[in-house]
Amino acid sequence: MVQQLPAIIVVTPLVASFVIFATGWRYKKPTYPLVIGVLAACLFSAAAILASVIKNGAIDYWLGGWKPPWGIAYRIDHLNAIMLVLISLLSLLTAIHAKKSIERELPERTTLFWSLFILLITGLLGICITGDLFNLFVLLEVASLSGYALIAMGEKKALYASFRYLVIGTIGASFYLLGVGYLYMATGSLNMADLAQLLPELYHSKMVLVGFAFIFFGLSIKMALFPMHVWLPDAYAYAPSAVSAVVAPLMTKVMAYVMIRVMFTVFKPEFSTVLFQVTDIMVWVGTFAILFGAIMALSQDDFKRMLTYVIVAEIGYIIGGVGVANAIALKGAVFHIVNDALMVACLFLVAGQIMYRTNGHRIDDFKGMFKTMPITAAIFTVGALAVIGVPPTCGFFSKWYLLLGGIEAGQWGFVAALLVCTLINIALFFRVFDKGLFTHTHGTVPVHANPAGNPNAGEAPLSMLIPAFSLAIVIVLVGVFNQTIVNHVIRFTIPPGF
Amino acid sequence: MPDAFSITYRPVWAIIWPTLVALFILFTGKRPNIRESGTLLGSLALCLTVLSMTPVVLKNGPIQFSVFDLFPGIDFAFRVDALGLIFATTSSCLWILVSIYSIGYMRTLKEHAQTRFYFSFAVALLGAIGIAFAANLVTMFIFYEILTISTYPLVAHEESPEAISAGHKYLAYLLTGGVFFLIATLVTYFLVGTTDFSYHGILGPALDTTSGVTLQVVFFFFLIGFAKAAWMPLHSWLPSAMVAPTPVSALLHAVAVVKAGVFGIIRIVCHIYGIDLMQALGLGVVLAGIAAVTIVIANFYAIGQNNLKRLLAYSTINQLSFIILGVALLSPMSVTGALLHIPFHGFMKITLFLCAGAITAITGIKTISDMNGIGRVLPITLGAFVIGAFGMCGAPPLAGFISKWHVALGAVESGQLFFLIIICAGSLLDVVYFFPVIRTAFFAKMPASETLETDLEPKVELYTEKIPVVEYEQPLYLFMVIPLAITAVFSIVYCLFPNTFGIYALAQMAVKNTFGGM
Repeated sequence: MVQQLPAIIVVTPLVASFVIFATGWRYKKPTYPLVIGVLAACLFSAAAILASVIKNGAIDYWLGGWKPPWGIAYRIDHLNAIMLVLISLLSLLTAIHAKKSIERELPERTTLFWSLFILLITGLLGICITGDLFNLFVLLEVASLSGYALIAMGEKKALYASFRYLVIGTIGASFYLLGVGYLYMATGSLNMADLAQLLPELYHSKMVLVGFAFIFFGLSIKMALFPMHVWLPDAYAYAPSAVSAVVAPLMTKVMAYVMIRVMFTVFKPEFSTVLFQVTDIMVWVGTFAILFGAIMALSQDDFKRMLTYVIVAEIGYIIGGVGVANAIALKGAVFHIVNDALMVACLFLVAGQIMYRTNGHRIDDFKGMFKTMPITAAIFTVGALAVIGVPPTCGFFSKWYLLLGGIEAGQWGFVAALLVCTLINIALFFRVFDKGLFTHTHGTVPVHANPAGNPNAGEAPLSMLIPAFSLAIVIVLVGVFNQTIVNHVIRFTIPPGF
Repeated sequence: MPDAFSITYRPVWAIIWPTLVALFILFTGKRPNIRESGTLLGSLALCLTVLSMTPVVLKNGPIQFSVFDLFPGIDFAFRVDALGLIFATTSSCLWILVSIYSIGYMRTLKEHAQTRFYFSFAVALLGAIGIAFAANLVTMFIFYEILTISTYPLVAHEESPEAISAGHKYLAYLLTGGVFFLIATLVTYFLVGTTDFSYHGILGPALDTTSGVTLQVVFFFFLIGFAKAAWMPLHSWLPSAMVAPTPVSALLHAVAVVKAGVFGIIRIVCHIYGIDLMQALGLGVVLAGIAAVTIVIANFYAIGQNNLKRLLAYSTINQLSFIILGVALLSPMSVTGALLHIPFHGFMKITLFLCAGAITAITGIKTISDMNGIGRVLPITLGAFVIGAFGMCGAPPLAGFISKWHVALGAVESGQLFFLIIICAGSLLDVVYFFPVIRTAFFAKMPASETLETDLEPKVELYTEKIPVVEYEQPLYLFMVIPLAITAVFSIVYCLFPNTFGIYALAQMAVKNTFGGM
């Protein structure tokens, strides 16, 4: 049983998705418990896999017993293992959180929602677990297609945003597929480990070069790396709250994971640092992404849109960190994938709670939050401080590694961008704090009046508070125990040769 | 199993008390009396915990306690040494008095959001104590940021547009400073692989691998990081923050915030750079120059103020730079004086602020020109004010005399006579702007009550002969007057017995550690 966990973690949600789709129309009641059960099982398997990887090193799993390079091989090392835990943890918490908001926002379509939601998680888990480039593409499409559909369920503008995302996303995926095709033409293999052995002799071949470039470009589109981010803000801002809370933190981070995987496992680090020198470009693209994301975020009135630009900036952190190309910065980049997913998810959950109470997610809707929704406000505070990078929340620690790596490599532009972004983040979130904290009026308006004049005002329901609060605690714990995580997991994700 | 209250764990308890108080306040916010008793008990416990460490540190040296590791070579750790104890003693003693005072002040003025006020106050104390006991730069940074963020709701407490913009200014200066502090810390860590405070500095070996210019630049980054010390031109947040309620001003000026900035600079000078390196890089003179300029300019600003609290703010800027000057002179005597000035200035300045707050709370008067004859109406309050003001000028028998004397001696000792002139001129200018206040309060003619009736209708009663009776009938008034009387008495006690609470011994020990065998 334990040996089969890598298969179980993908197959269970896949089957569940179809089961829900097939039976949910008639039997609505068991859907939700089934979803929670499946996601809990995923989290359990992911944790068990991570524990096993920490204890015994990387796991090789051949699907159906077929040997690579013919069969599909799963190879789970520290990097995938932590991604699996991250994805299953966030999806479980979001699923618990989503029950109420979905009942409110999509009352007619809960079954469809849950079916697609689970399918999305299947795709994300699969992308992270697979050791095969083509299999990765298939799962990427599984995740993306369900993502498009989920986003389209959102507010009025969501349909248009989703369609745009679909077009741009498909272009990205096609680029990726083309790149994989080139690599296959050059080597005749799709297995990552196999490719890693075959490719070094072909590093000077134009075909490999073009293949790498296509993959790189395709992934950049999928992860919304500036300036290919245009699809992201609308798509994530207008999606249903539950969808934003899982797609926004995970989709882009998983793509960043794939980028790291391709650059440092399929190819050797020398390829992108010395031969192709793509890392130099990455630092600068990252730097501009950070500045652009931060400045755009500053000009938003809508909390969710503001967060989407924060994501654009955070992707810049990660890509810039990879581009700095030393062990410390890469540690920071990998750690930031984890941290950023946690804190962005936390903030989107808060947005969901505010939405549930005020039917809006503009910054104005946060008015009086500290009075009417004190626990939500506390959760928001933790998430916001983490994004700003205030210790002891986890955001500080990955930023520390990124900055230290930047200093070591002498990438002062990147370091400056990180610091400027920190300052802008302060401005961003203190705008919300101001709205939430200061309700006292000096005129004739009664003090502490019901903020939005909304009959639902009050603390969010418990089923939303518990997962969001747990996430806030996780954010602090990851910060406090960052040394444990770095020493036991993230240290091993640094490829040899760094 | 060692006893949980044993001396090893005391630094942690010092952190736990304010945390507990903060949580207690959150959960008892609806019952003000219980909430305030919690604050008082917690502050008392903190004060006792801090004071109990003094004899141990004096006898056995620093108490170290590492909680967990943050980065390779950096722990989240506390190290209670003489220097930290001076700051912690000041903060924790004054917290008790400010808590008592707040009860009177906040209730008299029927302020809103009192729970938020007391909560933020407790968290700010957590930050201050953490800064005092931090064992390395990163731990210090963590608490430094906690202190900044927790004081923001306090500064913006009034929630008027003016208060909110003062809060924004406060954040803009201090959090930007925090970013510089962070980058300086990172470079330090990058250069020498550690950020632990050490008696003779840690950056000395870095000169082998990097140029002096880098270290000079890093030093300025640290200075910008400690914008809390309000040196010019990074001072303007402090006068703006005066819109906050008086207990907050007391917190900013005496208990925690600006002292944290000065304390940070002392830490950097003594325990990151070290006296030798400071001299080798010529940074001492530069720092002293900045301090001297600030002292003179701040004094002139103060002379022109009509708002009492703003006047006090500029006085604080001046006194803080006096502390910086004492350290920058890099002589044992002057550093002793600077260290002594932290608690001494704390007690004297808090007296002044509590007086200003009491005047405002009772009569509604904020500007000096309206204070004609108020000394005869509020004799205890203004009496305390006179004591504080004379202390600021450095007149014996008040605490300010001791510290100023030491710094002046240090200037002579190190042969930097130019700065001796600055010290004397600064003290003289202190007299120039405090004297008019005292004269107005005691010797100017009381205004005729007809004019007052139009201006200050509800408060007019205070200007009649019955006033003293009215005051003493109000228990809330006592909550304000007793703390300020205590701090005034302490301002005198510290001159006569500088070693109260072991402050003088601690300062001597800190200096001895920093300067080696002297």
